[in-house]
Amino acid sequence: MKEMLPFKWARGAVASALIGAVALVGGVPTAVQADETCMSPYMAKIVGQEDYVYVWTLGVEGMGDEQDKLVTISVNPDADDYGEVVHILSVGGRNEAHHSGLSDDRRFLWAGGLDSNKIFIFDVHTNPGKPGLHKVITNFVDKTGGMVGPHTFYALPGRIMVSALSNNVDHGGRTGMAEYTSEGEFISAHWFPTDDDLRGAQKTGNFADGYGYDVRVLPRRNAMFTSSFTGWSNYMMDFGQMLSDPEAMKRFGNTMVVWDLHTREPKKVFDVPGAPLEIRCAWSGLNNYCFTTTALTSKIWLIYEDENGEWQAEDVADIGDPSKVPLPVDISITADDQGLWVQTFMDGKTRYFDISDPHNPKQTYEYKVGSQVNMISQSWDGKRAYFTTSLLGSWDKTGKDDEQWFKLYHWNGKKLDHQFTIDFYQLKLGRAHQMRFGAYSLYSQKPNSSDTMMSQIEK
Amino acid sequence: MTLYFSNPRYWFLILIVCCIFVSTTTILIASSSDEGINKEAIFGPGDRKHGYDQENYVTNSLSVTSRKGKQADLLQFVYQTPLGLPKMVMPDGKPITEEQVSLGRRLFFDRRLSLNDTFSCAICHIPEQGYANNELATAIGFEGRSVKRNSPTIYNVGYYNIFFHDGREDSLEQQVWAPLLARNEMANPSIGYVINKIKGIQEYKGLFEAAYDGKGPTMETVGAALASYQRTLNSANSRFDQWYYGKQEDALTDDEKAGFELFIGKAKCSACHLINDEYALFTDQLLHNTGHGYNVSMGIKPEKTRVQLAPGVFVDVDNEIIDSVRQTPKQNDVGLYTITQNPFDRWKFRTPILRNVALTAPYMHDGAFTSLRQVVEFYNQGGVPNELLSPLITPLNLTEEEMGQLVDFMFALTGDNIEILVADGFAAPIGDIRSQDPNWAHDTEFEVK
Repeated sequence: MKEMLPFKWARGAVASALIGAVALVGGVPTAVQADETCMSPYMAKIVGQEDYVYVWTLGVEGMGDEQDKLVTISVNPDADDYGEVVHILSVGGRNEAHHSGLSDDRRFLWAGGLDSNKIFIFDVHTNPGKPGLHKVITNFVDKTGGMVGPHTFYALPGRIMVSALSNNVDHGGRTGMAEYTSEGEFISAHWFPTDDDLRGAQKTGNFADGYGYDVRVLPRRNAMFTSSFTGWSNYMMDFGQMLSDPEAMKRFGNTMVVWDLHTREPKKVFDVPGAPLEIRCAWSGLNNYCFTTTALTSKIWLIYEDENGEWQAEDVADIGDPSKVPLPVDISITADDQGLWVQTFMDGKTRYFDISDPHNPKQTYEYKVGSQVNMISQSWDGKRAYFTTSLLGSWDKTGKDDEQWFKLYHWNGKKLDHQFTIDFYQLKLGRAHQMRFGAYSLYSQKPNSSDTMMSQIEK
Repeated sequence: MTLYFSNPRYWFLILIVCCIFVSTTTILIASSSDEGINKEAIFGPGDRKHGYDQENYVTNSLSVTSRKGKQADLLQFVYQTPLGLPKMVMPDGKPITEEQVSLGRRLFFDRRLSLNDTFSCAICHIPEQGYANNELATAIGFEGRSVKRNSPTIYNVGYYNIFFHDGREDSLEQQVWAPLLARNEMANPSIGYVINKIKGIQEYKGLFEAAYDGKGPTMETVGAALASYQRTLNSANSRFDQWYYGKQEDALTDDEKAGFELFIGKAKCSACHLINDEYALFTDQLLHNTGHGYNVSMGIKPEKTRVQLAPGVFVDVDNEIIDSVRQTPKQNDVGLYTITQNPFDRWKFRTPILRNVALTAPYMHDGAFTSLRQVVEFYNQGGVPNELLSPLITPLNLTEEEMGQLVDFMFALTGDNIEILVADGFAAPIGDIRSQDPNWAHDTEFEVK
């Protein structure tokens, strides 16, 4: 176990900030990436050791340079700068940095701002240790005809599908998803089905709310899946205030939609009450199912194809004690489809579920990672699991419970073993959110080709 | 919002109103025949939550793309005053023009008029939500920052002498600058920043000059344009007006008439919500301590809060847990005292115009009451006693039936031109940032590696 010294981190952070600022002012591009088992199947995978983790980080008013940034962390134990922040790229503004996704060729990382609606496209292939800003899309709302809050960036062949969370007329939850070329050109908008415009979909239960959140695909079944969260007014609102506002608490998604992947047509709308968030689909060609978890009602749901080839939705397990609202957030499926990591934000725990029987997940392990935890990204071999803390700028805990860190653990199948922690507040970086992985091996590069920040400092 | 959808009387009243639309004015007949306007989308949020507290809740949602409208001749509602409203007095005596109103309307719906291009006036004053916000108790502003008060409707706002719940402004032209500059609303850093940003947006080229005798965007012309637009959103000729001023005996039901008698009699509502022989603004343009603000500030907070998780699913959550995720303590609100510093003004808030009140839930300065029934119950108990309680507030001893009749009466205050005004809002251009607009990202040449 390697616990990093604060001074070392601080030195790296200051240097990174300086270099990042210089790079930005000089117009020099920089870039970023995350979870191998939850990535698009159209994308090359890092099946060995990842070299970097790119952390899309929220700026905090009154801290450091106060703006959102892409933080690059060296995670290859063979590297001299293992466990260090090696690069920081500030992007301007507090955009409500949230999720990010790689293009199919993994050369670019798209990262969105749920508030500003900006999409930052980072070059992560030219120098994986020093991402560059390649392009900023500012007209997402205008181009899509009113979608707000670009959330998931999911690679399809030559395309990026961007699911949104809200709209520009009432900042509520009715929204859709937009399709872009990998080069960043807008192609089309697909609104989520509502009762007055189901767009050919079957409303299988009571709900067709038109809300959005995540998007995932099962190409072998020509299926695409979307889930539903809440609109701008709620995801930007002070969490405590929102819980006390009965009108606001009515505005959460209760649906998942199964789409025809090729035609982009919605086929079925399922009732999945309580804000289904992340979707993780099985990898095996025999496993035609995906999981999601509901943030408010604390359940694992299975979306599966039955023996008749029909998609179904089933509530298959509780997460913790739902009456205590543990707030499950990010999840991660193992590459062999046997396990599902589930983070519960309120108690700061990660929980491992045995999903060998997908209809009967069983929790077999739990571990308190900190006072709050949100994201998890695991390596393809499942041996390494990275964790970060931030949920949303206005939802994170306060006071001493507002820890903001990046942690690496090793997983031996039975327990997590802590390797190192990077304190994002101590380094004045901000709130650590989503992680994506980078590796020299993806681009036939060698580590020495990287002109990392630390190496520059050494020089 | 909850109330008028949950109350079957609402649907009956809507039916009546629709019939009146067809049978009364030519304006409404013309509007009703307009194609492409989804009339279902006019009244209330398209994201309908009626019955959400029940396990058997069924969505009846409308798509955002169905929200289509038609530009209206808004000046007609200024110069052909709807029945029940007085003639509008312009602050400088000059008539407002079509160019000024059109410009103000464009500004009102322009999300670029905020520091990060995400916030327009219309985000808190949403056309189909009574030009208020039915979906939040208190408003959420720039970067999610909390505003401690409920978004008031701007219907008939041109008739107020004082603005904001605490009455701190006395001119609509001046009022409009406060949200533009407030750090928890649109967060623009300065007046000059707003002016220069407008100057940099192509759509505004020449519009100010055409509307204001060659004057470009200035603090004065921006304020005037926004105020001019809002002065057109006048809505009356309600069924109450048709009955009371138009002498149409069958315009109100018996229960509504009984509600009116209570309103001006036993319930004493008209002591503050004034009605006179020629017109009714339903406000005395004053501020009062009803006890509600006092109770919020001084009352004992319960240990738990009931939180809804899904349709029909509730849990009681310890407030200690809720406080652990509260970014900033709940803001206290002492009302008029904040402005005058006079201790006798504590917890005084402005008397709102009650026209269209059925469309503007939730109620009170902090949106604490989700239905008109709750409001009536509050006043029936005499508000909340405190040493500064207005002497006009006393227990009313209304029966259940009487409280229902009062609510019925207030539902009859919905103007007959709501459909036109909301459809006009739907037709307004929403200003979202485009690639040619001012923004640092547009002026930076990124190196493609």
